[in-house]
Amino acid sequence: MAEKLKHSKFFLWCIQVLRVCGRELLLVFRDTGVVIFFLVLNAAYPVLYALIYNTEVVRNEPIVVVDDNRTPESRDFVRRFDATQEAAVIGYAANMQEAQEAMYNKSCYGILHIPRDFGQCVGRGEQAHVSLYCDMSVMMRYKAYFTALSNVTLALGSEKLDAVVEPVLNMSGSIVESRQVPVGNPAMGIASAVLLFILPLVLQQSMILGIAMLHGGSIERRRRNGGRDPMAVEASPGATIIGKMMCHQIIYTLPVIYVLHYVPLMFGFPQNGDILHIICLAVPFIIAVSLMGQTLSAVVNERESVFLLFVFSSVIFVFLSGVSWPRYLMSRLWWLVGDCVPSTWMVNGYVLMQSNGATLYQVQHQYWMLWLQVPVMFILAYLVERFINRRRYRSWIAASEDNPNILTRIELAKNGVG
Amino acid sequence: MITKYIGRSFKRGCIQLVRRPMYFLLIVIMPILCSWFLMDLIKGGSVHLVPVGIVDQDNSSMSRLISRNLNGFQQVNISHRYNNFAEARDAVQRGEVLGFFFIPDNLEELALGGRQPVVSFYVNYAYYAPGSMQYKGFKTVSMLVNGGIAQVALRTVGLSNEKIASALVPYQSHVHMIGNPFINYNYYLNSTFVPCFLSLFILLVTAFSLGLELKSGLSRQWLKTSGDSMFLALIGKLVPQTVLFTAVGWFIQWMMFRCYDFPLNCNPWNMLIAMFLLVVANQSFAVLMYCFAPNFRYGTMLCTLLGMVSFSFTGFSLPQEAMYPWVEALGFTVPIKYYFLIMVDQALNGIDIYYSRFYYAALIGFTILPMLLSWRLKKECMNPVYVP
Repeated sequence: MAEKLKHSKFFLWCIQVLRVCGRELLLVFRDTGVVIFFLVLNAAYPVLYALIYNTEVVRNEPIVVVDDNRTPESRDFVRRFDATQEAAVIGYAANMQEAQEAMYNKSCYGILHIPRDFGQCVGRGEQAHVSLYCDMSVMMRYKAYFTALSNVTLALGSEKLDAVVEPVLNMSGSIVESRQVPVGNPAMGIASAVLLFILPLVLQQSMILGIAMLHGGSIERRRRNGGRDPMAVEASPGATIIGKMMCHQIIYTLPVIYVLHYVPLMFGFPQNGDILHIICLAVPFIIAVSLMGQTLSAVVNERESVFLLFVFSSVIFVFLSGVSWPRYLMSRLWWLVGDCVPSTWMVNGYVLMQSNGATLYQVQHQYWMLWLQVPVMFILAYLVERFINRRRYRSWIAASEDNPNILTRIELAKNGVG
Repeated sequence: MITKYIGRSFKRGCIQLVRRPMYFLLIVIMPILCSWFLMDLIKGGSVHLVPVGIVDQDNSSMSRLISRNLNGFQQVNISHRYNNFAEARDAVQRGEVLGFFFIPDNLEELALGGRQPVVSFYVNYAYYAPGSMQYKGFKTVSMLVNGGIAQVALRTVGLSNEKIASALVPYQSHVHMIGNPFINYNYYLNSTFVPCFLSLFILLVTAFSLGLELKSGLSRQWLKTSGDSMFLALIGKLVPQTVLFTAVGWFIQWMMFRCYDFPLNCNPWNMLIAMFLLVVANQSFAVLMYCFAPNFRYGTMLCTLLGMVSFSFTGFSLPQEAMYPWVEALGFTVPIKYYFLIMVDQALNGIDIYYSRFYYAALIGFTILPMLLSWRLKKECMNPVYVP
């Protein structure tokens, strides 16, 4: 029985898979460039990114006041405005020209203008007007000024409303109280919102870069050795793909836990997800990304061209995942393109888990979509390996048999020689 | 003699450019495609109709009025109604809605009896822009509820409409959004992200084309074609790329300002020149990185890292004054920061070019900087070592 098993096709196939996996591990750890992508990038990049956004919110945004009224009422208004956490009055300007000059010199990014009749209107019980002029180069500045202004006008307004309504309704305070409960990201900070989107993406991109660089190295060896890679293991296309995929799974165990669990812990980002559930979600993600990386690496011809070909895609994938422009507003085309990328599902599942404390059951849609991508990506990787890569190697071997220097000569010609 | 060297060096640069289709892909096709992607993605302009839920436990005429009013807002779209809090929370966790408005039972009774009921809104700030929009919608509708009841009460005691209006909204604020009155997200985000994307491509392509000389061991021959002058060698190699990138940059600006109607409140030449300077500054910046780290892997990695991180530390989304001082300072080390400042001053705010003089000067400064350090690159080119 054991003898029969030993010679069965399946057993031999498994041995091939394990040999490919072992060789891939060896290649990874012999190659500093790939180790940088697989381990160093995952260790350092999220920390760097988190540090950039770590201040989370905008506080004390400088503003200049033009007060044409100069009454106790206007001064009280400015004092209250200055007291908000979002804005800080850095000074009074005599007129709008002076205030504009301050804005042009970037001393402030907004102007608060109080018109001449402000105090009189307040005293007479009429509507008083204030104007805010703000620079729109960065939305968070506008948001800070806007929040500060609306909080001040609402607070002052409800005081006045009370004074009018109290004798009539015999009550003080507002009639219906309203309360905001920020969920998911209680600090309402930008780091807590953006970083959770970035973290799974770092995993995906580092892995694709590393896989493509390994493939580029293999192509370079083939070019030097007449179309043959001395480091490659003889195996069927399927076994090669699955063996490599296993290797990537093994290497990424630590980065996944570090990036998805410890980085939020280090910086105090929302961490309501259960680590086991997150790992369960990450398993199909890593498999799908490994297969996607193997598919895409077919376009790589040398190790370093991975920088050119794949780095910029991070920005595209991050936008497709819906970090700054929500997915429900995307056109059908971009929605569908986003659906094809593993990071879209992983990111949205991960954000729901970490921010809102969703369980794996609650993000099952994302989870199954990731599993659905696994066979699709496998078929793509198989087709690419079998019909593009291997066909190409065979043609190289055939060409090198006729002329041993042909491959290096083509490369030299590309570099401008001859 | 010099013209001969320049001609030879230039010819070599052009041949290299033509023989690798990848260059054409990354200099022309991808920047235009990616810019179109970003602008087409956000062409809607503002975040609206955020899918939210409502939990109405009161089911009174007042609570129904609230939900009708809420649905009338542009900011939110009540896509689901839930029977209780647990259901709504589950929906937020599943990502079905991005927040919900909670109306407790006896709302109408308590409100009319003057016993201050509390409505609450749960806003999911994990999705930042939709979160802010939801807040706007929810907050306004809860203000309107108050106003509605107070208005009826005040009218019954015989106050005039003007008096009521000034009692309800005693302080009217007018917000003037300079240059972008519609708070168009496309104008805001892409007038910076698209050039930043282009500068990433410039950094990558320049770094790659320099590194390839070191890798292939042809760097000595490269220097020889230009008479052992590093400067001429760089000119020959980079000028053909400068021409292509500038053309692409101008095309992208044409897309931005003409096709997508981004604000352009200055003389168009100010922006066209800024784009040309951005291209040259980025190329010089990549050369500078190679002077610091004359090695294919580390030189390219440095360019890649700075190119990617410049999306964040240059203060497009979190303003520079809110960052840690060292991050803010780091932002000023990359060319795109100065282009961003020029864009804000010139295209968005349309102020006098006098105020942007330092930013233009800085972009020119980037061009001069690598000349001072080019001896390091030359040393490496004479003895190229390739570390895989």
